[in-house]
Amino acid sequence: MPTIVSIVLGALGMWLLLPRPSLRGRLAGAALAAAAAGLLAGQLPGLAAALDQALFSILAAVTVASAAAAVSLKNPVYCAIWFAMTVLGTAGLFLLQGAQFLAVATIVVYAGAIVVTFLFVLMLAEPGARAAYDRLSWEAMLSAVGGAMLIGVLSTVVGGLLAGGPAGAAAARGEAELAAGVLQDGHVAALGRAMFTDYWIAVQAGGLLLLAALVGAAAIVSGGRSPAAPEADPRPPEDQPPAEEH
Amino acid sequence: MYLVIESLIKIVVIIGGLMGAAAYLVLVERRVAAWIQDRRGPNRVGIPLTEIRLFGLGQPIADGVKFIFKEEFVPGHVDRLLYVAAPMVMFIAAIVLFAAIPFGTVDLGIAGWAPINLVVAPGLDVGIIYIFAVSSIAVYGVLLGSWASNNKYAFFGGVRSAAQLISYEIPLGVAILGVVLATGSLRLEAIVEAQAATGVWNVATQPLGLLVFLVASFAESGRLPFDLAESEQELVGGFHTEYSGIKLMMYLVAEYLHMIAGSFLIVLLFFGGWHFWGLTGDGPVAGIGVALVRIAVFLAKVLAVILFFMIARWSWPRFRFDQLMGLAWKVMLPLGLVNLVAVAVWIEYLRTPLVAAGLPEGLVMAVAGWLLLGVAGLAATAAAPSARDNRPDRSLVARYRDAREAR
Repeated sequence: MPTIVSIVLGALGMWLLLPRPSLRGRLAGAALAAAAAGLLAGQLPGLAAALDQALFSILAAVTVASAAAAVSLKNPVYCAIWFAMTVLGTAGLFLLQGAQFLAVATIVVYAGAIVVTFLFVLMLAEPGARAAYDRLSWEAMLSAVGGAMLIGVLSTVVGGLLAGGPAGAAAARGEAELAAGVLQDGHVAALGRAMFTDYWIAVQAGGLLLLAALVGAAAIVSGGRSPAAPEADPRPPEDQPPAEEH
Repeated sequence: MYLVIESLIKIVVIIGGLMGAAAYLVLVERRVAAWIQDRRGPNRVGIPLTEIRLFGLGQPIADGVKFIFKEEFVPGHVDRLLYVAAPMVMFIAAIVLFAAIPFGTVDLGIAGWAPINLVVAPGLDVGIIYIFAVSSIAVYGVLLGSWASNNKYAFFGGVRSAAQLISYEIPLGVAILGVVLATGSLRLEAIVEAQAATGVWNVATQPLGLLVFLVASFAESGRLPFDLAESEQELVGGFHTEYSGIKLMMYLVAEYLHMIAGSFLIVLLFFGGWHFWGLTGDGPVAGIGVALVRIAVFLAKVLAVILFFMIARWSWPRFRFDQLMGLAWKVMLPLGLVNLVAVAVWIEYLRTPLVAAGLPEGLVMAVAGWLLLGVAGLAATAAAPSARDNRPDRSLVARYRDAREAR
């Protein structure tokens, strides 16, 4: 039935498009033909899988390219923006795998808070970004080697997992757990239950770490200043503002 | 296939509705401002080339045409790429946010058609955090636009705005958590359905959460008590000082959309969404007629909240920046945490014994919630006065006098 509809629509559109004595209706014809083509393409077998694959490739390319830009550009503000782009691409990849909570949490935490704080500090510290220490890499050789080793190890291990190597059984078990627990409706509830039962020690440890960081930040901000002993005014006495007379 | 067509129709309807609503809400806001200031407001523009005025209903169209046909001037000192991209980021983030706003579920009554969930992204299991995530992207529009403008005033506005948005996201999230905990779901549909099923809106049970959420969403939308980012008197427009034409319009419309989104969220989370007692029924799925009534009720509530936003804008002076930060960190965040802890204690320890004792659950929760609001409000005003003495520190003055006398 949809096939017949799309073929009829396509015929109508093509008739309107063909050069006839009157030029009227060519725009409508183009629109009809495009809609028919879309409808027909929608009935191709394997379209969904192909779209999935294409989306994955695009997102992965965006993520990798922006990661490369984030470390290789000279202007730190642009670096931070490309880092945010990397995070968005990663969130898209998570979403493609059905991990909705992980995707939005990545955006909230990384793109929404951490990179914004980076940008904030960069812009406050040095808006023009002209100093050499902001524009040059510190240990170019070491970081290139380290990154290459990390990628090498990861791709070997992941490749071994996919090929059913020594860790293949673990991968298969993980996939089964994923299908049973995560890819269902209401997976956020399942995720929360897992985090606060199976992994509660990790969650509590993370919370403790954040609390310690918060207390440290507060200590740094207050800087040992106490109301009883305020710091001395560094200006010489004649430059200091006159006291108010009461 | 039908799913794609259905989604496209929903997207077209919601974007068209939002653009029209934003244009005409500007007119409403100008009329409200005029009413408060005892003026008449824009009432001249009607149908072009005639004398018909139509209460100024042509004004938004004239404004839009003016914005679009203005010269688009790009100053020579800007960072071109980011200057062009920033308004788009903000605009897109403001629009995409509405993909998770649910308008209820309608059953067309045709055999073989599944009930249609009137939301652009029906499969989203994390609705409220999705909205939270997308609205946190909007900071980039402000921050990058202000930096790319290469102008001190714009930059001040951007830095202020970034600090404000990051700070107020925390009380916003904490206030949302109270509602999520009470409902047990992150889906906005589920939150509305829970309120409809019991007939007790969250405003009755969590007034403290509503207060925190209201203040935080005022700050997130950057409207007058919190519009330090663009304060015209000091920063000549703040982060959009260097913008003109359609880019400026994108910024302004995006700010309006943030206000509209905040109103939608307030209604969904605290005022029962489409539910109204005796008018809309309380099941999740409705027929066509009831669904239309539900949409009307929902939009009426949202309009009421928007009017509240507008009246508040013309009734309050702007905060000073230290007051703004103090309000977020010293008042709103603790109040939000108090609300969260109270909800958790209620669910974990008190609900079961009290309901078993035969007390009506909604009534007890409402009384407890409003008592909590009163106590917390009194404690906040006593412990953290929002006005701070800005005069020179007395101890410093005394020390200086001592030093002078010793000399």
